[in-house]
Amino acid sequence: MISRRTVLGTGALAAATLAAPSILHAQTKTLKITTWGGKWGDIMKATVLPAFEKEFKCTVSADQAFPYVPKLQASPKNDPLYDVLHTNSNEQWNCFTEGLVMDKITPKEAPNVADVYPWAASDKIVGVAIFTSAIGLGFRTDKGLTKPTSWKDLADPKLAGARGSYIIPVNSLGQCHLMMLGKIYGKGLQDLDAAYKALEQLKPIKLVDFTGQMEKMLLSGEVSMGVIHDSGVYRYDGQNQPVDFASPSEGVMALEQVLNVTPGSKVKELAFAYVDYMLRPDTQKLLAEGVWYSPANKKVKLDAKYDEKLLTTEAKVATLIQPDWKWYNARKEDIDARVTKILKG
Amino acid sequence: MSAPLPTIRNKQPFDAGRATYLTLNGLLLAFLLAPIAIVLVFALNPTPYISFPPVGVSLRWFEKFFRTPEFTNALFLSLWVAGCVLVLSIVIGGACALALARGNLPGRSFLTAFFMSPLMLPAILTGLALFQSYLLAGIGRPVWGLIMAHTLVAVPYVIRTTLAVLHNFDRRIEEAAAVLGASPTRVFFEVTLPLIRPGVFAGGVFAFIVSFDQFPVSLFLVVPKGETLPVVLFNYMKFDLDGAIAAASMVSILLALSVVLVLERLIGLRAYVKL
Repeated sequence: MISRRTVLGTGALAAATLAAPSILHAQTKTLKITTWGGKWGDIMKATVLPAFEKEFKCTVSADQAFPYVPKLQASPKNDPLYDVLHTNSNEQWNCFTEGLVMDKITPKEAPNVADVYPWAASDKIVGVAIFTSAIGLGFRTDKGLTKPTSWKDLADPKLAGARGSYIIPVNSLGQCHLMMLGKIYGKGLQDLDAAYKALEQLKPIKLVDFTGQMEKMLLSGEVSMGVIHDSGVYRYDGQNQPVDFASPSEGVMALEQVLNVTPGSKVKELAFAYVDYMLRPDTQKLLAEGVWYSPANKKVKLDAKYDEKLLTTEAKVATLIQPDWKWYNARKEDIDARVTKILKG
Repeated sequence: MSAPLPTIRNKQPFDAGRATYLTLNGLLLAFLLAPIAIVLVFALNPTPYISFPPVGVSLRWFEKFFRTPEFTNALFLSLWVAGCVLVLSIVIGGACALALARGNLPGRSFLTAFFMSPLMLPAILTGLALFQSYLLAGIGRPVWGLIMAHTLVAVPYVIRTTLAVLHNFDRRIEEAAAVLGASPTRVFFEVTLPLIRPGVFAGGVFAFIVSFDQFPVSLFLVVPKGETLPVVLFNYMKFDLDGAIAAASMVSILLALSVVLVLERLIGLRAYVKL
């Protein structure tokens, strides 16, 4: 005979079994992040994110669809669309000005921040930088050009119509280049009058809007020398492509990959854990060697071929020049109007 | 034996007007089709970057497109969304057009302009406004939200084409059916609907294509792992500008063309062209 206790016990067990997935689901936190596409996105989706989810028993919703900042701006601050924002430094500063992201991420929140190079947590960075690329000059090795040693080499009259840069209002590499023109032809990165004058002298110049387009312009031979980040050239290492990268003697501009946490995040601890995870030496090595980015963590030991080219020592990172994006963003509208006028047509 | 008659050649005089007409038509066609031809050339060119002239012929980019789950998933999602939008647009747009044409509604002109307004508003603003509305309502960004958004911008096409048919509609046919004893429902399904079908379906074709190619509205409404093909292509282009983009464009064009052809088989393109 089935007792009342057995019926109740069986019923409770059945209910628990049926409810288990939803209870588990309710306990599984979701971390909402932004991340890049391309090779970076492939490594993140195949290796980094699954490992993070397993270790922290969570799910990660990784948005790869631009534009991140307008979507974050349009979402409520107390329930933001993202918990962790991954962008370049210029956009992080915009978000910080609007109170959408935090000021700094300290070792207290993410212990691996203690091991980063000074540039990754400098006063030019909000949040923390996890990687950087060096913006310098890419060039064709089959066009009889000597390896450029200075930013001024881009102005060589022989390169008329075969030099390349970016549409400044929409691309931070173009913005970096403009500031660099101020430094080499004027009094410093903020000497805009000198920069505008120098920009005028670079015409005719081919301009692209997406960062990834410049490497294709170099590969196809449409451009013989152009402003580009080192990873855009190094990623063709060993593929017999006639392109190379040069770090000008005046220094290279930093194109930092920055992570930051949104103040209204409901899973802030998990967000900090993710930032910390991205700064772990093994994660850094995997991504640095996968996409040729220079790691922010000083303790990362890269394989020889990467170590030789990337910024992995104090001496090498000393060549990095970090723009003051707060200063630039405050003048962006005027700069955009001026450069559009200069480069019109 | 008589001498053979001289052959009379029916030589037509040179018609300068006709020649100009044909030349202009040829130029117009070339202008419309040249971009597609260029995309095809890029899609078949094996170099890892988009370049001209091509160095050979290869299907590697088509292979990459169909072997990349991000592309194929996005393609199926776009097809699914566009299919739903087609059905919803036909139902909603057809009903609206009937109400506007037959309903003796007060402020008919205003209502027509109101239903057409999604076409006047920049689509990016429609997407942003819906994105904020969804978030404020706490519903997130579900697929049905994306379908509703696409339907919003697609319905005016159905309304416009259906109104065009209804404008020339001879209502005496409906009256004759009613006089012969048909109920209003039967009149609608057996007389009205078959006669306005070309307009409704023509609008449906537009609705499908508008949804399938929709980028600005989708930009804010797609979610991770739930992105439509145009959004995936845009993001892909920012990092990898290679022939896969051109291959995806060709697939997209061929699919849109297939839908038009299928609908032509179902309802007849001639009826559509009359519009």
